[in-house]
Amino acid sequence: MPRDDRPERGERSERGGYRKYFAPKRKFCRFCQRDIRGIDYKAVEILKKYIPDRGKITPRRITGTCAFHQRKLALAVKRARLMALIPYVED
Amino acid sequence: MRQYETGFVLSPALSEEETTQFIQQMAEIVALKKGRMVKQDIWGKRRLAFPIKRFQEGVYVFFTYDGPGDVSTELERRFKQTDAVIRFMTVLKDPRDLARRKNKKRRAEEAAQAAAPAPAATGSSATTGSAATTEVKEEK
Repeated sequence: MPRDDRPERGERSERGGYRKYFAPKRKFCRFCQRDIRGIDYKAVEILKKYIPDRGKITPRRITGTCAFHQRKLALAVKRARLMALIPYVED
Repeated sequence: MRQYETGFVLSPALSEEETTQFIQQMAEIVALKKGRMVKQDIWGKRRLAFPIKRFQEGVYVFFTYDGPGDVSTELERRFKQTDAVIRFMTVLKDPRDLARRKNKKRRAEEAAQAAAPAPAATGSSATTGSAATTEVKEEK
């Protein structure tokens, strides 16, 4: 096996810290993956994955959700909050 | 015709009899206003995420129905009148989603139908060469 043609080391080593050693894991939209269009506010188990301890909606830069589904997700979470399925705040 | 979904939370203070009676009354209103009930979902008693009117739990009920807009107005008017309902919400179902679901169902049915007479069809097409020619022959 030729070991010379590895991805360019020079480009990555410009970044500092741990990034030198670990390439960031590729994120993807879990709703696109399963070909889901609408997100129902009654599906509490799914919504709970996107509202950690504090009860806030996780930004998509962290979860990797696409813009289309993030919009649907935010609406679903807000509807679920109104129906007291999910807390507004949690301490 | 549009499809709506009305969800409401009933007070836990009601007896079981009163709860079923109230749900039935509301279902009658949907019919009265010329709505067509598609689905009636009763979750039963469930803990609320936060207290509403000092209640810690509530009975969740969801109605899905087709019909004119005044079905939901009438339902909500009734909800406001009684103390039995502690929270309610009506949402419009996305017509594009419904169309998509219908298409999916139809496609699945077609696939199931295609799968059943498949052995006979493949035999004839193999002899004539292509699927198009077999169709023409069958018509003649």
